[in-house]
Amino acid sequence: MSETAENNFEQKFRNLIETIDVANALTEPLTASIENLLKVTASEMNSEEASVLIREGDEGDLRFLSAIGKVADRLINLRVPAGKGIAGFVFSSGQPMAVADAGEEETFYAEVDKQTGYSTQMILATPLRHNGEIIGVLEYINRVGEPPYEPFTPREMDKAALFAEAVASLVNAYESAKLFCELGNKMMWGENAPKFTEVRQWLRELRSAAEHKEMLDLAILVRELASRSDAERLMCREILEAIIKCSDSKSETSFLNF
Amino acid sequence: MTSVTGYETGKFGTISTYFQIDDGWKLRTGKGVGVAIIDSGIDPEHPDLQGKVLESVEARSENKRVLFVPSETGDSAGHGTACAGIISRIAPDAQFYSIRVLGAGGLGDGHSFLAGLEYAIKKRYRLINLSLGTTKPQFFAPLHDLLDRAYQAGCIVVAAANNLPQPSFPSVFSSSLISVSKSTETDPFHFGFRFGEVIELTAPGVNVRTAWLGGGYKSLTGNSFACPHIVGIIALLLETYPNLTPFQVKSALYALAKENVDEDILKDGEGEK
Repeated sequence: MSETAENNFEQKFRNLIETIDVANALTEPLTASIENLLKVTASEMNSEEASVLIREGDEGDLRFLSAIGKVADRLINLRVPAGKGIAGFVFSSGQPMAVADAGEEETFYAEVDKQTGYSTQMILATPLRHNGEIIGVLEYINRVGEPPYEPFTPREMDKAALFAEAVASLVNAYESAKLFCELGNKMMWGENAPKFTEVRQWLRELRSAAEHKEMLDLAILVRELASRSDAERLMCREILEAIIKCSDSKSETSFLNF
Repeated sequence: MTSVTGYETGKFGTISTYFQIDDGWKLRTGKGVGVAIIDSGIDPEHPDLQGKVLESVEARSENKRVLFVPSETGDSAGHGTACAGIISRIAPDAQFYSIRVLGAGGLGDGHSFLAGLEYAIKKRYRLINLSLGTTKPQFFAPLHDLLDRAYQAGCIVVAAANNLPQPSFPSVFSSSLISVSKSTETDPFHFGFRFGEVIELTAPGVNVRTAWLGGGYKSLTGNSFACPHIVGIIALLLETYPNLTPFQVKSALYALAKENVDEDILKDGEGEK
């Protein structure tokens, strides 16, 4: 590669990385805030699980954007088809509702429970609205402790409606940020985007090489850890340095022994 | 015997229209009264509802227009079945017209339910259960217009309030429909009213045990389930007095609710002694 071509490649690669960084920088704090809000409000509702579902496409489908509780990881990105379950109904009707005995039949939320291994006993669902538009659903599931649970009260329903106001503004901000990211992606990769042939070729080669894939996996792990608290970052650094030291000393020892 | 006071404007000006409601209305079963349920559909096979669903239609979107076609899909969400179940417990001989506007997918939350309401008014269904609402400002005017048309056509529309911080339509249009919010009361005949409030009537809506999908039952909480309690009460009144206008029905509900409220005040007074 000539020097000009190399500079050009470097510039394009930098643009690509910046776009990805901007995307993460825009959406991550918002999803973190939604999760924090879920934790605080679930505690206020004496609820074991809480989740936020947002619209996905134009057909009325929903997707779990955020969740807290035992099966939170398994819920994220799970889809609920249009009109299905209490969440689907609340989303399409705009009417909040609570069910005290959700677990009595297989028809209710069975699909979600099957996929997560959780047992939904009772549920309170309220719509998330922004400027009169329903943009998602806020759910509180079960109580803290063991069943039988006390049903959700009308006062708690009113509380949930107020919490939904705060969650909805964050969800709206998240959707706007995501839209902005998608626009950025289109500019980078869409039909009218500048040609990134070399970057694509480089990425293809990178992806096809097994050792690079492992390195990328490691990098993702480090990035994940780096996004957490200072204590975790410090611990991560110390562990990695210790592994390198250990590895260095091992290779020296190996040399002596063999 | 309950005395109902109302006013009507005729060619001789506004006159008061007193009439009496015989207590026997409470023993009626809703026979001969048809109720339109604009919701997620009704499961006609549910043991509480077998043989009671006269017609089922569902909304379909075609060339940006909403059409209603015969429906055989029943109810995918359970909500419409729950509402019909509540009405059926109060008025076991009432029959239903299911207008499914939810759960079909692809339709906006406001358009389909407006179309459902228009369909019910065109069919001149006497009693319409609307346990739905929208907060979209663009639906304010068309809904207002539809509700006025319903009122003039003699259709009695009962809508659930929305326990959200912002107003929802049509439950805030207090003049042309009956709006209901939930109370912890359990006796359907012991409904109340909030004088001067936009949402006027209160009815049982907390942990209401009612029909659900698959022939089962659920304990549900929400204004959605208070609304059909009042619809059930109106079905009994309409069986007894088939020619009541929407205005007279509302006046009768006020008079009956006042008796309930007075009874509560009296009870509280006795408790204080």
